[in-house]
Amino acid sequence: MTRLRRDPRAERTAIRVAAGTRPRYDRTAKPAGGRPRRDPRAERAGQRVPGASRPRFDLSPIILSQALHGDRPVVAETRPRPAPEAAPRIVVVEDPAFLVAVVPDATGGRLSGHDRQVLGAARTLAGREGGVVVVSAGPCEGCGPAGADRHVVLDDPGPDPAARAATIAAALADLEPRHVLFPESLDGGDLARRIAVRMGVALFDNAEVVAAAGLVRPARGRRVEQRAAPGRLATVAADAVPDHAGAPREARVLTVATAPAPASRLLSTERIPADPATVPLALAEFVTAAGNGLTDLDTFRQVVAALRATPGASRVLCDAGLMPRHTQVGASGTVLAATCYFALGISGAPQHLQGIAGCEHVVAVNTDLHASMIERAGLAIVQDAQAVMPALLRLLAQEAGEQEAGHPAGDPS
Amino acid sequence: MKIAVLLSAGRHPVSSTAVLPRLEAQAIRIATRLGAAFGVPDEAAAPFGLHAGPDAAAVADALGQGLGRLEHIALSEGADPVPALAARLAATAPDLILAGRRGQGGGESGIVPYALAAALDRPLIADVVAVAPGDEAGTLRLDQSLGRGALRRVVVRGPVLATVHPDAPAPLAYAFGRARRGTIVSLGPTADPGAGPVIPVEERPYRRRPKVVKGAPAGGSAAERLKAATGESGAASRGRLLVDPDPEEAAREILAYLRRIGVVAPPASHPHP
Repeated sequence: MTRLRRDPRAERTAIRVAAGTRPRYDRTAKPAGGRPRRDPRAERAGQRVPGASRPRFDLSPIILSQALHGDRPVVAETRPRPAPEAAPRIVVVEDPAFLVAVVPDATGGRLSGHDRQVLGAARTLAGREGGVVVVSAGPCEGCGPAGADRHVVLDDPGPDPAARAATIAAALADLEPRHVLFPESLDGGDLARRIAVRMGVALFDNAEVVAAAGLVRPARGRRVEQRAAPGRLATVAADAVPDHAGAPREARVLTVATAPAPASRLLSTERIPADPATVPLALAEFVTAAGNGLTDLDTFRQVVAALRATPGASRVLCDAGLMPRHTQVGASGTVLAATCYFALGISGAPQHLQGIAGCEHVVAVNTDLHASMIERAGLAIVQDAQAVMPALLRLLAQEAGEQEAGHPAGDPS
Repeated sequence: MKIAVLLSAGRHPVSSTAVLPRLEAQAIRIATRLGAAFGVPDEAAAPFGLHAGPDAAAVADALGQGLGRLEHIALSEGADPVPALAARLAATAPDLILAGRRGQGGGESGIVPYALAAALDRPLIADVVAVAPGDEAGTLRLDQSLGRGALRRVVVRGPVLATVHPDAPAPLAYAFGRARRGTIVSLGPTADPGAGPVIPVEERPYRRRPKVVKGAPAGGSAAERLKAATGESGAASRGRLLVDPDPEEAAREILAYLRRIGVVAPPASHPHP
């Protein structure tokens, strides 16, 4: 097999421009084969970030390849992902040898991080033959990917924990699982103890190691650890056991016999949400923080109040005295445990990123495409935060206005 | 208003010396405040402490924290305190029983208040940070901690058992004179201590285990664990990037994202239906 021999004279004749007497050749046409000719000027122009007054260039490889093909940089795009994998096969356990039940907190119908860890622990106890069944009071989504083979959805018994314990104990009596695991959280630990007393079974609480060989819990002020074979009831400590890492499970819906919940002895219950303006930054659920990219801090405070967030700030603003020191986020300020962090005009110094390492969701608005905060964020917006803040306020005010129109003030409904 | 505070023999978390658990000292503060709110007609109706165990000296600090009287039920080491406590509480019938949510330095299982509530057939309100008299006579208003500063306000009638959360007000300062004036009443064991449900355990010295780094793959390299620890491998790797959008569109995207993860309330929900 020999390569086709090139004929340089014929190629040059093909690109000769007919007009004029002097021989001229059009070399812009793409050659038929071989490596494409690079055009460094066009590449550079394609990498230029539009809109900025100062010339700025995006040197990331994806933009380079687009510039090579003569495309302009895209305005909105999803980050490059490492090749779309085929959807993983769902593992089905048709006839489980035994059941391991998990009673998640599932606040707001979602599994918490702690719930997912408990499901991972249950998965290790169930092994290949057993099945994990989630028993949730009220709906709960995302059980299959977290490792649940079966799902029992009970009617929500209301806010009384005694009624909740009675409903779940009745379901557990019907399911007859070998082990029942709870998260050792405020609600989960309360529920586990109520059910243990109700069933007359000892509870192995606060397990830090969960394996089929045994459970381990600390005792006597963490001076000793107690090991026991997995019993009927156990609670699992937070951040001690990894999530389920294997293929998703089917979470087939099961129905069980339920008992009517006993009448509640509480006269009334009322949930008082934490006041986001006064809650300590380390405990806050949702933090909106300002950085050096902001100049209008009054608008920032309005945005914080409208979103019902806790205000935070970067070190630069606190050093300048523009925000109080106790709002500083980062290694020398507060390390957050928030669910969501909304960064306005923060580029993300490493010390600042340490402070938000525990945040599950990050939203960033910054003018710099290459800022670490943009790289870290789940939703990154390359735009001036000064322009986005009033737009956000207008949008919230417009929604509030529509709501008012739908429900006039005098309407009793 | 008769208030009983359950006391346990705790160990200091650092020095391991005998100490009154902080949660119980906080419970004493709640009890004395509530007693003052109702007004104390005589010494017998004042809040009192109740301890079941081998030695009353272990909880004598409670006198200095604000209690006037302690009742001590002598029990052998390791006996189940629930039957003795239940019998004594049924006899004295306090309107409110306060306990810590967990012990300190012992088993730390926190099951005793639940077993007592079942034995006395009373409602149990867990993780309370404040107790106040309710609007109606004979009712109590209790604030339960839900974590992260959120509260659940529960109104309940009649005798009730409550456990105290660490977010409750800090305990009163220890007062030596109060500790000298207080009295300890010794009671004989009133019921046969039966054995509760116990799990046979094997004990070893405690070994600290590494915390699970969320998002790091099992058996991954140190670089991957560092990425997971700084949060670069989670939502960031599959995030959305908008370059130079219109500010209005950016605001819509942000609000939609915040609503999807559930930190901002959806617009349809009306606050006062």
